Amino acid sequence: MADNVVLRIGGKAGTGLITATDIIATIALKLGYHIFSSKDYASQIRGGHNNHTIRISKENVNADSDKIDILIAFDQLTLDKHISDVKENGIVLINEKIKFEKTNKLNFILINILEIEEKIKHKNLHNAVFSGAVAKCLGFPWDVCEAVIADRFNQKKELLKVFKEASLLGYNQTKVFFDYSNLGSSDKLSLISGNDAISLGALKAGLNFHVQYPMTPVTGILHYLEKESVINKKLTVIQPEDEIAAINMALGASYTGARAMTATSGGGFALMVESVGLSGMAEVPLVIIEGQRPGPSTGLPTKTEQGDLKFVINAGPGDFPLAVIAPSTIEECYTETKRAFYFAEKYQLPVIVLVDKHLTESSKSADLNAEEKEFTFDYNQRINIIAKVNDNQLNEDGLFKRYASKETSRTLPGTKNGVYTCAGDEHNDVGEITEDPEIRVQMVNRRLAKTKLIEEELPLPELIGPNDAELTLVSWGGNCGAITEAINLLNQEGKKVNFLNIKYILPFQKEAINSLLSKSKKLLLIENNITGQLGQVIAENTGILIENKFLKCNGQTFNVNEIYQEAKRWLV
Amino acid sequence: MVELSKYNREEKPNWCPGCGNYGIITAVKKTLTELNFTPENTVLVSGVGCFAKLPYWVKVNGFVGLHGRSLPVAQGVKLANPKLNVIAFGGDGDGYGEGGNHFIHACRRGIDITYVVHNNSVFGLTTGQYSPTAEKGRKSKSSLLGSTEQPINPLALAIAAGATFVARAFAGHLKETIEILKKAVEHKGFAFVDVIQACPSYQPEKDLDYFKDKIVYVKEESNKLNAMETALKEDQIYCGIIYNGVKK
Repeated sequence: MADNVVLRIGGKAGTGLITATDIIATIALKLGYHIFSSKDYASQIRGGHNNHTIRISKENVNADSDKIDILIAFDQLTLDKHISDVKENGIVLINEKIKFEKTNKLNFILINILEIEEKIKHKNLHNAVFSGAVAKCLGFPWDVCEAVIADRFNQKKELLKVFKEASLLGYNQTKVFFDYSNLGSSDKLSLISGNDAISLGALKAGLNFHVQYPMTPVTGILHYLEKESVINKKLTVIQPEDEIAAINMALGASYTGARAMTATSGGGFALMVESVGLSGMAEVPLVIIEGQRPGPSTGLPTKTEQGDLKFVINAGPGDFPLAVIAPSTIEECYTETKRAFYFAEKYQLPVIVLVDKHLTESSKSADLNAEEKEFTFDYNQRINIIAKVNDNQLNEDGLFKRYASKETSRTLPGTKNGVYTCAGDEHNDVGEITEDPEIRVQMVNRRLAKTKLIEEELPLPELIGPNDAELTLVSWGGNCGAITEAINLLNQEGKKVNFLNIKYILPFQKEAINSLLSKSKKLLLIENNITGQLGQVIAENTGILIENKFLKCNGQTFNVNEIYQEAKRWLV
Repeated sequence: MVELSKYNREEKPNWCPGCGNYGIITAVKKTLTELNFTPENTVLVSGVGCFAKLPYWVKVNGFVGLHGRSLPVAQGVKLANPKLNVIAFGGDGDGYGEGGNHFIHACRRGIDITYVVHNNSVFGLTTGQYSPTAEKGRKSKSSLLGSTEQPINPLALAIAAGATFVARAFAGHLKETIEILKKAVEHKGFAFVDVIQACPSYQPEKDLDYFKDKIVYVKEESNKLNAMETALKEDQIYCGIIYNGVKK
């Protein structure tokens, strides 16, 4: 039995690919396997070509694979496009009407879908039939498949009957190729996307106000939280007129004490930028999720890239404190979003969680409860918010000196004697507009001092792999799943390669990163952008220029084999 | 009752002598006094422009944000803490130009806040360019041959966008402005008040005498079509509660 099996399901948008993918992944999860599932789709609601890749493994997986074991082609285009990715002796499941060239290297399984549809008297049953057929190929027991299907359609009795019947007909038309039998489910794992993990992290951290204008690849957060708000009356979710309204509404809410968040992609973030500075200037906590997709402009709306790093860390005119965190796995989307809320509330500044489409829209089997220990704080406790103001905290006018040099706390509107002006203009200790040069300098220093304090609270970066490596890979964000897996493979082969994942972009952990990189024998920068933006940030902060680069900008994520081959090339 | 002086701060406003903002800030303080609002439970939100300094000179909670963005901040404040009394301020450049989109959507969203726009038809703080409410033909440093644009009609726009309280006041008439502001603040839902004001520095010809003959007060109207008719009339400056509908 192979360690893992890779499936690809492809076809036109709107033909049930997502349902089929969810059902197969859920069955595998119920049987005790780990899953990593990614989708590649066009910016088109019906038609075109979309595909989902699912890895099913006995071990934890965080990345895509380039070669596939089973191709499920809903249409001709899918077969033509992906057949070259199928491994030798791999399986190809198709409708018998699809044209194909016979070869001994592949196992073609032809299913007469029309016959099944006529028999059941229902159209569009590709997803049901193929779900059943592929379940059989993998050796999934039918009773588990049946339970998952029943659960999926429990609100739609008619559809459940049809789907189950069609799936069983598909199941019975093929034979068992793999032995993915029941490992015994742990019940701890569930199928979670990066967007889900971010939402769950935010909720865990006490999120009660979310404002978002829809934008790929973070629309999933809006949907998740809207659903939550229907049952959780403490949570307000707003879809405003634009991203500028989104960030300003979040700031207004946060000013009153809400734990507030907004989410967008690069284009929407560009609209928000002025207000990021307002958060820094007025010292209003704010968490922003920035899910990157290839720019500039509208770019490739449904693909992935890491091209916003330098833009995000320089977002806004003037100098102000800003924290930028780049989670590298779906689990870290959860833990680092929590951390973002902690920093935002404690230091009263904007914190950006920088992710990418590959992270936000891929799903995996994860146990977020197990991640709880990674970063935790008392979510019910408010940090640096005071309910009582002492006389020595008031100015001669009776206003709260919220911006006084040693004052780290704020009051919320409604607090007796807590009145001050929350100001986007340069201001004095009670927030009144001022142009006094001395106060100006004091205020700039007051704000920028936060950066150092945040840096002191950050976990130190660590190398993954042997310390005495011949080659050190340097990367960030969603690439890390593929890189970590490639490193493991190389290490197993006795190749000395290690990996530095830079998770905290701002404040940049200059000393720690400098010390790790300067000890390395050979460096290779891996980024999903064409100018090596992290490399530029490293050079600016440490003086270390990484000349060896493996960069891409084709809208696709890195897969394990790609990294493995590239690392090998640099080892010679 | 809270004394008006309770809202005064040590620092005094630095608007130009004769600026309509003096009338508006007095009307605001008087409104807060008469409604017995405590400083800690009141939030004044503004953007950027001469008008936007108003919260710095009233002793209640203030949020002075970005140009054109007072409405989203104010809506966020109210949604997150409905117990607070929230008044947002805009300017004709700030609110009808830069923040025009927020204005339309705040009207239809109907959150229970009051929006007061200081409308003097010029960009004051950037030295007198024509604004979205300047009449066609207005000459300024950025319209040397006269503006070729139609002025915006904020009252008609607000009614069309679904605002349930639409009023116009004149900063030179303190008593009337206070009455209008009080009703606006007490209105349940989004209440919008366009306040016509003089700008002695950049529109000196539009002085009190000029406005005296133009301003006509109308009776409060609850019929939307009738209200729209008044809103669209351009022969005079119609003030008062142009439309008071019930929030559905």
